[in-house]
Amino acid sequence: MATIKPSGYSKHRKKQTYTRRLGTRATPMQMLFSERVGGMGALILVIACLPLLLSNNYQYDVAITMGINAIVVVGLNLLVGYAGQVSLGHAGFFALGAYASAILTTRYGLHGALALPAGALGVGVLAYLIARPILRLSGHYLAMATLGVGVIIHIVLDREAWLTGGPDGMYVPTIEVAGVPLYGGAIWYWIVAAVLILTVWLALNLIDSPIGRALRGLHGAEVAAEVAGVDTTHYKVMVFVISAVLASVAGSLSAHFSEFVTPDSASFFHSILFVTMVVFGGMASTFGALIGAALLTLLPQLLADFSGYEQMILGLIMMLVMIVMPRGLLPTLVGLARRRQREARS
Amino acid sequence: MSLLRVEGLGIHFGGVQAIEDLDFTIEAGTIHSIIGPNGAGKTTLFNLITGVYRPSAGTILLDDTPIAGRKPHDLARMGLSRTFQNLRIMMNMSALDNVMVGRHLHLNRNLLACLLRLPPVTRGDRAARKLCTELMDLVGLSAYRDADAGSLPYGALKRLEIARALAAEPRLLLLDEPAAGLNAQETREIDEVIVKVARSGVTVVLVEHDMKLVMGLSDHILVLDHGRTLAEGTPEAVRNNPAVVAAYLGTV
Amino acid sequence: MPPVLVELLQFLFSGLASGAIYALVALGFALIYNASHIINFAQGEFVMLGGMVTWVLLSQGIDLPLAILGAVAVTMVAGLALEKLAIERARDANVVTLIIITVGAGIFLRGLTSVTLGKDLHALPAFSGNAPIDIAGATLMPQSLWILGVTAAIVVALHVFFHYTVVGKAILAASHNPLAARLVGINVNVVLLLSFGLSALLGAVAGILIAPITATHFEVGIMLGLKGFAAAILGGLGSGPGAIVGGLLLGVIESLGAGYISSDYKDAIAFVVILGVLFLMPRGLFGKRGTERV
Ligand SMILES: Nc1ncnc2c1ncn2[C@@H]1O[C@H](COP(=O)(O)OP(=O)(O)OP(=O)(O)O)[C@@H](O)[C@H]1O
Ligand SMILES: [Mg+2]
Repeated sequence: MATIKPSGYSKHRKKQTYTRRLGTRATPMQMLFSERVGGMGALILVIACLPLLLSNNYQYDVAITMGINAIVVVGLNLLVGYAGQVSLGHAGFFALGAYASAILTTRYGLHGALALPAGALGVGVLAYLIARPILRLSGHYLAMATLGVGVIIHIVLDREAWLTGGPDGMYVPTIEVAGVPLYGGAIWYWIVAAVLILTVWLALNLIDSPIGRALRGLHGAEVAAEVAGVDTTHYKVMVFVISAVLASVAGSLSAHFSEFVTPDSASFFHSILFVTMVVFGGMASTFGALIGAALLTLLPQLLADFSGYEQMILGLIMMLVMIVMPRGLLPTLVGLARRRQREARS
Repeated sequence: MSLLRVEGLGIHFGGVQAIEDLDFTIEAGTIHSIIGPNGAGKTTLFNLITGVYRPSAGTILLDDTPIAGRKPHDLARMGLSRTFQNLRIMMNMSALDNVMVGRHLHLNRNLLACLLRLPPVTRGDRAARKLCTELMDLVGLSAYRDADAGSLPYGALKRLEIARALAAEPRLLLLDEPAAGLNAQETREIDEVIVKVARSGVTVVLVEHDMKLVMGLSDHILVLDHGRTLAEGTPEAVRNNPAVVAAYLGTV
Repeated sequence: MPPVLVELLQFLFSGLASGAIYALVALGFALIYNASHIINFAQGEFVMLGGMVTWVLLSQGIDLPLAILGAVAVTMVAGLALEKLAIERARDANVVTLIIITVGAGIFLRGLTSVTLGKDLHALPAFSGNAPIDIAGATLMPQSLWILGVTAAIVVALHVFFHYTVVGKAILAASHNPLAARLVGINVNVVLLLSFGLSALLGAVAGILIAPITATHFEVGIMLGLKGFAAAILGGLGSGPGAIVGGLLLGVIESLGAGYISSDYKDAIAFVVILGVLFLMPRGLFGKRGTERV
């Protein structure tokens, strides 16, 4: 019986050579360019130097919002970018975290430092409960279900005025720590920066671990991962809960920082904005996610001057960037740089 | 006691009865081949054994434990591992990371340990990287150690499937057409790998159209046709079985 | 008839009317999905454009039938432009990227409308007056009859188009098997363009039909688009009958929920039902079943 050779098969394809031999430790140069050392170092450097450029409250506000969005997006990237599971409802978890902080502090007198973990725990439990049935779905059905969860949260926050203040939102009192009120951009900048750095570190660790490989593996070939012993449902649920908890933490930070929450923080477009940040920067790239969050937080601020036209321009930019760079900013740039290098060498 | 016993196994897809009332056993430490014309149900049988499909009838016993309907990841824990005829490579990962996924069950998967990158995780990963590199060498993928899986040619991807399956250190390894699409030289190499693996004590179930390979390797052959057993026995017995000869002369 | 039944009938009437609108929007989603496996999140903006452009033409003194034709034409141009300028260039991108492109298109169209036509709420006149029709004690607005009648006519027309015309059959063939379709000489890009034009038409008609009841506004498309997507998913993505049944069911359930449970939660009920159905039937009511081939 004849064996058939599939088309496209060529044994003459150029074999690549690789500098890094396995089982060996990385050289200092390689460490410098690795994500965990070089990337984290660059991130910390940028965060430490940024205040030198910030001259007023408004600029601090924008920088802090960038940081808060970045926390959500690094988490969401674990789910969407690495594990390949779409969510169009994460603003719902963000808003639940924000409202948990707002409600627990104003109505129940809890300290903000306790309200944040309480909210995160609550959101974690909720996410866990809905994750199992939801993550059996795939593709557009999953998109629909997560979208539905977000819309439902939005509507509940909007309608239960006795608890949430309704469409007008509610105020959140200033947190005090040892008699010192946590108020103003300079303080919140460092709080958000610390949480962001921690988040990025944890995310990088997770991705480069057996769990991270399981997540990327189930994205790339779900049956193969399953057959290799990866309990794919378990890991999908796990990463869904992690991303929801990070969104909740960011929501709490945002509530305490801005001292105000509105139901619109749970809107469909807020969810879309988070996903767009992930994809803009580059899916499955933690530093891409950071860049996406920074750019898309900045963009509306820059567009505010185009009175009336800002929506049109935002829509156009979303379309253009995604058409020109479907893989996102960072992977596209890295790809270009690599090609340059290769051409320079040959 | 047989390692694997199948009794009255059946599955249908809509009107297509892909496997029907199938019985056979696989003894530990043997190379057991399953052959048959296209569409005979060989891949479907693999999918049933590894839990990818749920049978409509019958039982599958691994060490006398019923496993029909169990999830593939549970069965992996029990020592089952396989390759896919239609390649299932994680194209978003490096070739080595693909093999490392195969190592999953042997590594520290505690969430906290992974988040904090505790020493057990890094130590386990380092050891696994070494072992997986050796496995890649074994199947002849030394040239692709750190390459992206997406950049590998077809023949290399077939071997990558095998390396990933071996990384799990299975007791029962199911290979679905490992030599399809390979040239004679590559087929010989795969042949050697299978022999090596079998010598190390792993039970191998092989689906393959390359008769030379099958006849040379197998301790036992099961011939499927239309989801049923057409013949069964040693390579000699199967080769001389008139029903098999008729079926093959009819199809080739 | 006992008041309880009259009330039920009343809820059913309003549910069927809004359900028919959802069905039209869902059919728009299904058409594009079948041609390209893309979910067009700008579908709601087609609905909005239909209503808004009709209003602006009417306000310029143009007669209703002409205004409607004009609005449908404008919306179809928007749909064709979206396909030509954006979708065709990004066909191979992944699901999430395509979602962002179509959402971006929706934001753009909303922005464009608010800049050119303003942000005010506008009511269209009902097509044939506002004299309620009494049926067994329940009232039915003539506009609801228009909605149901036009939707029924469109469904019949679509059926004829897809099963009895060469172009329609070609589109169907291309959606079932793009490769085979290309081999027999069907231009897949043209099919995609047609499906966007047709979807825009369906959306515009839905927007025009509902505008006399709910009024129109540059943001009406957001919720209507999401509901249409929900209806398409409820029926099973890509299934025409599924979209129609999904739309009508969604409308009726929503209306009953608003009437008997809570009108505050009218919009949420639709999504709760969707989640419930998906938990039990991960591919919707009429979606493709079967084991994925491995
Ligand atoms: N998921 C599925 N859904 C529907 N039919 C299926 C499915 N999987 C397999 N079949 C059908 O079952 C029959 C057996 O297919 P199978 O792939 O097991 O054959 P095979 O022996 O592996 O053939 P080949 O030598 O071509 O690989 C075929 O008729 C096939 O179409
Ligand atoms: Mg097969």
